[in-house]
Amino acid sequence: MKRPKLATLWFWAGIGVLAALMVMSAMAPEFLSTPDLKMRSVGPSEFPPFGTDPMGIPLAEYALQGARIVTVPAVVAGLFIALMATIAGLARSAGLQWFDTGLQVFSEMVGALPRLVVILVVALVVPLDWRGLLPVGLVWALLASPGAMDEAAATAERLGGARFVEALKAHGFSAFRIYFVHIVWMNLRNVIARQAAEVAMQVVFLEISLSYLAQSRNQPSFTHSDATNSWASLLYFGYTAILGAQPLMHALLLGLVLVGVVAFMAQAIRASARAK
Amino acid sequence: MAWWIRPLVRIVAAVLLPFIIPAFITGVLWALPGDPAEILCPPGFCDGTEALRDRFHLNDGPWGFYWAWLTSALQGDFGRSWRVAQGIPVLELLLESVPVSSMVVGLAMVPILLGSLGAALGVFSKRLDALWQGIGLVPAVILALLFAAYVEVTYGALSLDGWPAMLRILLAAVVLGVADGALASAVMGTRSVFQEEVKQRYVQMALLRGESVLSNALPNVLPALVGQMRSRVLHILSGAVIVEVVLGIPGLGQLLWDGTLLQDFGVVLAAGWGFSLLSGAMLLVQAVFEIGIAMYVRYSPKVQM
Repeated sequence: MKRPKLATLWFWAGIGVLAALMVMSAMAPEFLSTPDLKMRSVGPSEFPPFGTDPMGIPLAEYALQGARIVTVPAVVAGLFIALMATIAGLARSAGLQWFDTGLQVFSEMVGALPRLVVILVVALVVPLDWRGLLPVGLVWALLASPGAMDEAAATAERLGGARFVEALKAHGFSAFRIYFVHIVWMNLRNVIARQAAEVAMQVVFLEISLSYLAQSRNQPSFTHSDATNSWASLLYFGYTAILGAQPLMHALLLGLVLVGVVAFMAQAIRASARAK
Repeated sequence: MAWWIRPLVRIVAAVLLPFIIPAFITGVLWALPGDPAEILCPPGFCDGTEALRDRFHLNDGPWGFYWAWLTSALQGDFGRSWRVAQGIPVLELLLESVPVSSMVVGLAMVPILLGSLGAALGVFSKRLDALWQGIGLVPAVILALLFAAYVEVTYGALSLDGWPAMLRILLAAVVLGVADGALASAVMGTRSVFQEEVKQRYVQMALLRGESVLSNALPNVLPALVGQMRSRVLHILSGAVIVEVVLGIPGLGQLLWDGTLLQDFGVVLAAGWGFSLLSGAMLLVQAVFEIGIAMYVRYSPKVQM
């Protein structure tokens, strides 16, 4: 029997985690359960699968709601980066000089900004009812796009740029086959998939960071509504557990596992996309 | 592409950045539906919409607001904070927080510079890359909260002054220098730049003459290394916002975060502008390096054929 290639295994592992996150976000409850003070801060052994918070609310609900907050914006941000990198790679292959100059100016301007500073400015000026992770994630993706575009364009350049396209045209290949099969699929997909996976992961971590900071100051987060809870709540419970305030180490563990799962997904997608 | 185009674009970008940031904020404010003053300070959620309108010339239209703010900022007048530290001039808040953040960023560059140097000199084996990458996968917020908990548990109520306060700064520097792939990208980025250059014929010839790789390859890789270093400083500046808040360090990042949470528009605009000035300065430094190296390669008698 033919053994599956390692890249294929990585691909399915990454897709499997992404699918699991999507299922979790679909299963997420609109609101948390009613507090049950008899079951306060109990561990997974007493209240499977993950235990409860200081109000007796199951931590599983936090995990599900957190997945709902991050999954769609992270995927959209990843797709946005993939699109931008593809456009940059194709433009370099087509030998569009004006595009290259424009890309450099765009990269210098946008790449020169500390991303989180821009995110905070955007968070300040965006109206309250527009606040959510999606606009923040898209701005983050836009700020990350110069790096992805640069790398995709450099990869297309190493391939031979316009000369590569001319050579394939001389073989009689169609434009679709040249640009989308030979350039994007066979040569750029590694860069595109890696950059998309990295930005998707960064958007998840960004949400956790922003929500954690807001929660540590007892302020509402601008990445989700007050009715929902992010994975940052689990980490915050964990922080209070380390300080000895409450027996909530199981919350910290769950938060760390969820962060690890997202990092694993990004690594798996990255490892699966090797150029031929 | 001619050698001077990239440095020229960087210089133009550096000069334009401090003008573009307030212009971008102005554009967003007026592009959004509704009254800019009510967007920044929604009635019902926040008091003082009228005061905000007067203070920032929000009634004078986008150009009036932009011009009034920019001319005041160029004279060092950012107004007074109205939420973060009521009545205190924003410039004073900036001058208090910038040295702290500079110390954090400066110390965070130590592991990155050591990593880059180690990679350039070949001290760090390629087999260690998995280790750097593994460490780099840890998000800054997680490492920072673990360190913050350690300081709180160890020093309790005394953790905000003296040695514990310094320890917070040192730990913040460790987080920024190691987490989110900072160290991994420094080691691997520097090594890949050097490896590409070492393959060049002139380096191989220099090796045969008994000369070192570093002295021959360095002038050619320096522009790329300076570019990488600039993006790392930006990465650290960005991460400093999170790390300073989690570790309770009173720097520029914490000021910006407090300004955003409390909707102190003057503080956020001034801090954002300060960051854009810093970014512009770094772009200029990179452009000067590139021009210097290009001049050296073209006109130094040592490298003339």
